[in-house]
Amino acid sequence: MLLKLNNIFKWVQSGGQRIFLLKDINMEVHEGEFISVMGPSGSGKSTLLNVIGMLDNFDEGAYHFLDESVHNLKEKHRARMYKEYIGFVFQSYHLLDDLTVQENLEMPLLYKKYKSSERKAMVADMLDRFNIVGKKDLFPVQLSGGQQQLVGVARALISNPKLILADEPTGNLNSLQSEEIMDLFKQLNNDGVTIIQVTHSEKNASYGSRIINLLDGRRV
Amino acid sequence: MFKNHIKIAWRNLLKNKAYSVINIGGLALGMAVTIIIALWVIDELTYNNYFKNHDQIAQVFQSQTLNGETDTGPWIPRPLEMVMREDHKDNFRHIVMSSWNNSQHLKYKETVISRTGSFMQEAAPEMLNLNILIGDQDGLREINSIMLSASTANALFGSEDPIGKVVEVNNEYNMLVSGVYEDIPYNNSFNDLEFIAPWKHYITTSEWIKRALDNWDNNSYQLFVQIVDNASMDKVTATIKDIKKDISATSEEFNPQLFLLPMNDWHLRSNFANGRQVGGRIQYVWLFGIIGAFVLLLACINFMNLSTARSEKRAKEVGIRKSIGSPRSQLVYQFLSESFLVVMLAFVIAIIFVQISLGGFNDLARKEIVFPWTNTLFWTGSIFFIVFTALLAGSYPAAYLSSFKPVEVLKGTFRAGRFASVPRKILVVLQFTVSVAFIIGTVIVMQQIQYTKNRPVGYDKNGLIQIPAMSQDFRGKYELMRNEFLASDAIVEMSSASSPTTQIWSNYSGYTWEGKPEGFQEDFAWTLVSYEYARSLNLKIVAGRDFSREFASDSNAVLINQTAVKYMGLINPVGLYLKDSSEEDPGEPRPIIGVVQDMIAQSPYDPVKQGVYAFDNVGESSYYILRLNPEKGVSENLKLIENVFKEHFPDIPFQYDFVDEQYAEKFQSEERIASLASVFTALAIFISCLGLFGLTSFVAEQRTKEIGVRKVLGASVFNVWNMLSKDFLKLVVISSFIAVPIAYYVMNGWLQEYPYRVILKWWIFALAMVGAMGVTILTVSFQAIKAAKANPVKSLRSE
Repeated sequence: MLLKLNNIFKWVQSGGQRIFLLKDINMEVHEGEFISVMGPSGSGKSTLLNVIGMLDNFDEGAYHFLDESVHNLKEKHRARMYKEYIGFVFQSYHLLDDLTVQENLEMPLLYKKYKSSERKAMVADMLDRFNIVGKKDLFPVQLSGGQQQLVGVARALISNPKLILADEPTGNLNSLQSEEIMDLFKQLNNDGVTIIQVTHSEKNASYGSRIINLLDGRRV
Repeated sequence: MFKNHIKIAWRNLLKNKAYSVINIGGLALGMAVTIIIALWVIDELTYNNYFKNHDQIAQVFQSQTLNGETDTGPWIPRPLEMVMREDHKDNFRHIVMSSWNNSQHLKYKETVISRTGSFMQEAAPEMLNLNILIGDQDGLREINSIMLSASTANALFGSEDPIGKVVEVNNEYNMLVSGVYEDIPYNNSFNDLEFIAPWKHYITTSEWIKRALDNWDNNSYQLFVQIVDNASMDKVTATIKDIKKDISATSEEFNPQLFLLPMNDWHLRSNFANGRQVGGRIQYVWLFGIIGAFVLLLACINFMNLSTARSEKRAKEVGIRKSIGSPRSQLVYQFLSESFLVVMLAFVIAIIFVQISLGGFNDLARKEIVFPWTNTLFWTGSIFFIVFTALLAGSYPAAYLSSFKPVEVLKGTFRAGRFASVPRKILVVLQFTVSVAFIIGTVIVMQQIQYTKNRPVGYDKNGLIQIPAMSQDFRGKYELMRNEFLASDAIVEMSSASSPTTQIWSNYSGYTWEGKPEGFQEDFAWTLVSYEYARSLNLKIVAGRDFSREFASDSNAVLINQTAVKYMGLINPVGLYLKDSSEEDPGEPRPIIGVVQDMIAQSPYDPVKQGVYAFDNVGESSYYILRLNPEKGVSENLKLIENVFKEHFPDIPFQYDFVDEQYAEKFQSEERIASLASVFTALAIFISCLGLFGLTSFVAEQRTKEIGVRKVLGASVFNVWNMLSKDFLKLVVISSFIAVPIAYYVMNGWLQEYPYRVILKWWIFALAMVGAMGVTILTVSFQAIKAAKANPVKSLRSE
């Protein structure tokens, strides 16, 4: 088992009232799964993803990731865990505008303190695998949306994470580009990477093995 | 990783060129000011370091108390030397008696030059550790020897070997050159010691010096010492403190106290009040040090403000980096690397600024500072300086920017909160507080100078020149010269005096008068003058009459000034006598024949001292005072005067000074400070405005959409301008209210040092406030109007 959420609650205080963002979420994710999280706007999809990705805290409940209890971990420890095991893909790509494709890919490796020669090899590998060798010296603004997201996925993958969290990865793409990215996810999943994606699209959800539906912060 | 940080920082700089120029340029300017001030401070603090033994060298000072007022100075009586040599020799490695540094004519063959130098005892070259270029260190052993500085030797002998050559001094005696020493650099107390002659020769030259041998009341000499290595100045001072008081019965009533003033204090801590050391130039060293630190702070504030102001732009980057796995420490490190890069670039530019402006600064500050390219200490200091500045400027942005939460910034909901700009506002207030305080300070310094310059001097200093006439050649020739000069038609009047018009060289006591209070310890500024002294100076006689050739008895008469009348407690002084109070061999009583207006002879900031102008019946004149013929041009007059002079004194160089220029020199020190302060103030304001400019452009950019919407809804250019400017103007007003009391307190304290001082008026402060606000409006308006005039369609479409 990769991760397990038990009775996760998350709320914000507003005018003396608690507004629940997540309410009693229980879920287990096994390695190799491809899960789609669906639900209307404001149902808590992204919040759930952020909690799983350890970017956001929760107020109640237990979260185990690879048998570590995340809710008990210190900030520093937690950062090390997600740095090690989790890759993020964002709807709006979130590439660093000041860095070239190659440098964007290299960045997570810098934070994980790989040696220069190793970094070069891994980046070259990734560029090759995603067929973007020719674009390596371009800046994000010089790429199309699909290409940027390709780089985004490549960046998420480069440090060999066990889990990829994708928050509407195709939200900003046209249907052709969407299909390319989803095919890529499918292929990665086949290679053994666990994926959790947030999506609005039934079509995209059908790539996954399981669907989790949320409404008002609750599983339905 | 560091390379990566620098790379990002570099690209960031290139992408935002205007921002980078403001940031780096402003910082460079601030650093340049700080470096220049630091060089100046170092130059001041290392004054006298040329002398290897500067830690052990001291001059003997004396404090005496008259009528409850203590006067302190480096003048000591001759017999002190022997007492110190005999009874206190264990404390001293060297004891060196010295004359005052005086200008003398040196002649070799046809070359005559005028140089300043002293007569000193044999140990002087060794004590000062002079760098002997030719000849001997003990070159003062022979009574008729003389040692010359390299430039003096060069002026006299050119390429000839000077050793053993005969130099004629003042046409009076011949001296053999025994050594040449390296010129003493400018930042040293002995920088105008251009020759040294033996003390033992000096004491034979004149009767009054010989008579001073055992006279404890004649404080006309200087004494330098070098203490032994294991002694301390304070301990030695304790042993010599009461020497004079214990020996000389006549001086007891003045409570003479002797002490050592260490060489390290000569330049920086040489002011005394009531017998106590009260600082001196060191105060200006502190002042400029503080100014330097503040200017750097202003520049750093710009950096902080512009960095945090752009935080929303950088927020996304922080979010991404954090979600990819960057710990906060890495981000802190990254932002510090950025500030380090900026500071490095700024430093390089600052060095260029310094190199370019050092010449001008030296002119302004009367320094000869050179850039210490090869000084490792300077570069080590610079590295610390860079790191310090980088930390100072970068710490706040680093802490602030790295604190963003990735979820918030990536969701795109990030908005700097309502209070995010509070620290920024505080920093702007700090900047303008400093700037406004600087403006007020500078204006007050300038006012004080102007106020004192407008003070009536009491005589007409324009069209007046004085010619030094100290050497024996001039003795007994006064009347002849006066007639010759008058005949040449270059002058309308002439007189002579024992000290220059703008100084007082002698102070006398030992007189009584009718109605003198019991126990009153009198002290007069004493000047010997010739006939027509008052007339040549246009000095007004307010009572009685001037000296007259028609009364033979005038040769013993005196004039006194108005202050002296009050000082002596007289109502109708004319006709009274000044009687010599000495018991053995009293001189004739001297009739007071007139009262002259007070004239400023010493510091224009001090009250005029009670003065006596005694008729010079011994021909001791030191200066000829000439009133130029106003009908002719100055250069024509001077030409005629020189011709007459050369005719009678062919072997003496023709030297003269304009009295008004001499008087103006009294303001030099203050004026130099004023001009330095105004330059630094201007730079401080400029740097602050640069920051404000950057901030406004940022705010305008940030609110582009808002401005667009407002304009669509009908806001005029004025409305928008008002909206953008008001915020900043408010900050400047707050700054002014903080700065005014601080500036008032500091400047009021500064003015207390000047007995004659300007009264602080409220409008100075108001003016500074209005000035600061005006500058702010100008700075802000440029961006505000640009933003207000932009076409709203454009700004709204881009969303």
